[in-house]
Amino acid sequence: MTTTDTVHDRIGTARDDLTTAQLLAVFAFVAATAFALLFLQEPLAHDAMHNFRHAAGVICH
Amino acid sequence: MLADYLERGVLAGAIAGIAYGAYVALVANPLVGYMETRAEGGDHGHAGEHAHAAGEHAQAAGEHAHAVSEATTAAVSIGSGVLWGILLGGAFALAFYFLEPALPGRGRVKADVLAAAGFLTVSVAPWLVLPPTTPGAELAFDPTLRSAIYAGMMAVGAVVAAASIYGYGRLSPDNRLLGVGAAAVPIIALVAVTTIAAPTIVEAGTLSAELVTAFRGLTVLSQAALWALVAACFGWLQTRAGAQPAAERHDDLLTSP
Repeated sequence: MTTTDTVHDRIGTARDDLTTAQLLAVFAFVAATAFALLFLQEPLAHDAMHNFRHAAGVICH
Repeated sequence: MLADYLERGVLAGAIAGIAYGAYVALVANPLVGYMETRAEGGDHGHAGEHAHAAGEHAQAAGEHAHAVSEATTAAVSIGSGVLWGILLGGAFALAFYFLEPALPGRGRVKADVLAAAGFLTVSVAPWLVLPPTTPGAELAFDPTLRSAIYAGMMAVGAVVAAASIYGYGRLSPDNRLLGVGAAAVPIIALVAVTTIAAPTIVEAGTLSAELVTAFRGLTVLSQAALWALVAACFGWLQTRAGAQPAAERHDDLLTSP
């Protein structure tokens, strides 16, 4: 196993280890997750999280 | 390797998330419900028909504020707590994979440093401008602007955390105390500037100041505990999987014959 020392090396390792398809899948998934988070602003789901949003200190009334 | 980190991060996040979900179920749900009733009660001041009216009152308040039943809110809030842990754990692991070489300390200390930086970025920095909101609070500006302020303060928090870690890294090899001082400067500056310059956006409303302080303290501590738990579980899983940072592997090679 190669020893990775810098942040630059880590990015290089990730680039070597992951195929373009995997990276695309990850980016698509992250985009979908972000979409889901925005989608949850939809009132019904948003309101159902009400207590949690108070507890986590992230609120919008 | 990246996938291994992510796997451990999501698992660590799930463990921390279950603990946080339990906190939401046992503490936050009843507390927010109580405070909601109190905040509404303060507005109308009908103490008389208490036992019977409280239920209807809360329900009326609930209908006023939410589109869903209290049971649904309670259940979804618990689930959200678990998912919140998983989200933080996954994001933590991805950040840790790339930033591990740049973080100060060794082994598990690195995970703790990143968790502290994450807590500062995601929660503390935004809270300096938008403190945790109690039920019945009055908020200035519209939600879109507040969301933008929250996101902006997260970016500021990330820069402050990075500056803090960079300062420590630069000065601690010569003098550890000086390094700690350099790490503290950006954080103190952030707190000072927001205390002086930030507008008051959240007005606590009719609830007693002690209750608001207790709620905010509980919010801060529970989020800090969530981050600490993510870091601890992640560190434990890393050790269990035998993943060692490069520096320690190098030491092992030197010491072993």
